[in-house]
Amino acid sequence: MAGLLLSPTEKIYILHGVQDDYRSDGRTNIDYRPMELETDVVSHASGSARLRLANTDILVGVKTEIDVPKPDNPGLGKIDFFVDCSANATPEFEGRGGEQLANNISNMLQRAYNSSQAFDLKQLCILEGKQCWKLYVDILILECGGNLCDAVSLAVKAALFNTRIPFVKAALMDGGSVDFQLSDDPYDCKLLEAGTAPLLVTLCKIGDKCVVDPSAEEESCSVISLIVGITGNPKYYSKDAIETPNFKCKCSTIGMNGPGSVAPETFKNAINQGIIAANSLDEALGRALLRERQECNNFKKNSYGFLK
Amino acid sequence: MPLDYRRFNGPEDSIPYNYYTKEYLKSYHELHRELIDENGVRKDGRTLDEARSLCMFFARTDMISQAKGSAYIELKKTKVVCSVFDPREIMHQNEFSALGQLFCEVKFAPFSCPRQRRPHAPDAEEKALSVALRKALEPTVCRHLFPNYQLDIFVYILEHDGACLAAAINAAGLALADAAVPMYDIITACSLAVIGDQMFVDPTEAEENLAIMNPEKDGINNGLITMAVMPELRQISDFRQIGSMDVNCIMKATEVLQKECEKILPNIQQILVLNVVNSFEQQKQLEKEAKEREAALNAKMEEWKTLLNAG
Repeated sequence: MAGLLLSPTEKIYILHGVQDDYRSDGRTNIDYRPMELETDVVSHASGSARLRLANTDILVGVKTEIDVPKPDNPGLGKIDFFVDCSANATPEFEGRGGEQLANNISNMLQRAYNSSQAFDLKQLCILEGKQCWKLYVDILILECGGNLCDAVSLAVKAALFNTRIPFVKAALMDGGSVDFQLSDDPYDCKLLEAGTAPLLVTLCKIGDKCVVDPSAEEESCSVISLIVGITGNPKYYSKDAIETPNFKCKCSTIGMNGPGSVAPETFKNAINQGIIAANSLDEALGRALLRERQECNNFKKNSYGFLK
Repeated sequence: MPLDYRRFNGPEDSIPYNYYTKEYLKSYHELHRELIDENGVRKDGRTLDEARSLCMFFARTDMISQAKGSAYIELKKTKVVCSVFDPREIMHQNEFSALGQLFCEVKFAPFSCPRQRRPHAPDAEEKALSVALRKALEPTVCRHLFPNYQLDIFVYILEHDGACLAAAINAAGLALADAAVPMYDIITACSLAVIGDQMFVDPTEAEENLAIMNPEKDGINNGLITMAVMPELRQISDFRQIGSMDVNCIMKATEVLQKECEKILPNIQQILVLNVVNSFEQQKQLEKEAKEREAALNAKMEEWKTLLNAG
């Protein structure tokens, strides 16, 4: 954050607050700031979502294309993430300025979605070894107010939940090549199963404790943050919830950001804290998405954002 | 991927022929069964919790004479060269940076990987490894001592047989120490693969490949962890994990990795101490030779003096 100057006393004030689990804006260490989420905002995309978390504004669109699967994974589809940091967000992103940050975020997402327990690529398969769906997840950062990773992962999950893939009506094998007939009816499509998609939680180390969703002031008190990707629980994302009793959230990726280092004990506590935070976030997101879908089905959708 | 047009690149959609060999078409279970025999011994004769840091480890410094410091590390078949160059001023920089910058580059040799040929232009994996290396090294270098300067660290992976990031970090730590860059601590790293709830310490390439493959059965842990540690300060400087693991697995893996990283430390220390001892001996030898030469010259002088006086 440019132009943010904190005196040592102010930093100590923040640090003591974090130690006592009571932050300067009244949140506890695992509370997020209020956010706004809206799905199905871009008409030309198969699925889309817009998320606003404090001052961070993110728009995600998912496009689907038909592709040939990789020879070493003939039964799996493909998913690709592209992050675009537009210069609107902050002047620092101008030219190639945002490139490194964008690469960082898309790498993180790619790694988090790598495991089949995080996102099942089998559902994107059309004909094994011949054709599959490829999802292009394009992430546009409209405004940058910190905590990008978390916001992006939430928006991506919402957009994937909202993504519709047309049904394939008939496939003809013509020699070696395949011919498809896709359904013309725009409502004749299947929804992606995105319940297990991971959420990234950034834990910012301040003193010996970690906080989620740091404000700009808190970010300047910390030298290292931990990014934990936790898979979601599908029970939050379907109405006829099938209760799986011993479902456990798993870590699909862990990474570190920033020039500092961390003691092993702090590290372990941080991961546990991240899982608790991700769980409650996942539940809230699931509830919001289900309500949104309900409204969509009843054609009573209220739009709130600037896009409509 | 940007193409290098000065070379002949071959058709764009070519794939290696070994994708169609018998070895490649084996299922997950077959591959898993092959990795370990009934006595719990891996293909290269190690047990599950045995790293290559003891009997399969070789390291040396002073590989590259032009560099300020350099190191070569070998973990059986994983071979890595690292060189560190003098700090230089950062060109074309807009603002003054109070902390020195590290520039890291990890490069695979084109023939280093068993599966595919590496392209000449840096690909996504190489870029990710470079970033990981920089993040691991940043906390250990005293960067405040060279503000507005940049330190170049180049790692070349000659042969890749698993744990290449860990080997790269170890080599870079040794090379930095060899270059006499001020550091808070020596840095060591180790990696671990989890395949079907079993932990393979310091995995080979075959084990790594299986760890990131998706198992057919759901609910079991699999994945890959690399951790870099500053052993004396007991701090984790980098930790990266992919795959899917539950919390208990990660906690256990962290402890195992911490122990392994501490085990590598004596290896590195030994090399550095030996370097100091060697240079002392070299110094002594040089001094002795210098004295001998001086004595010889003095003797000659005396001889000439007597000759002149006689003449």
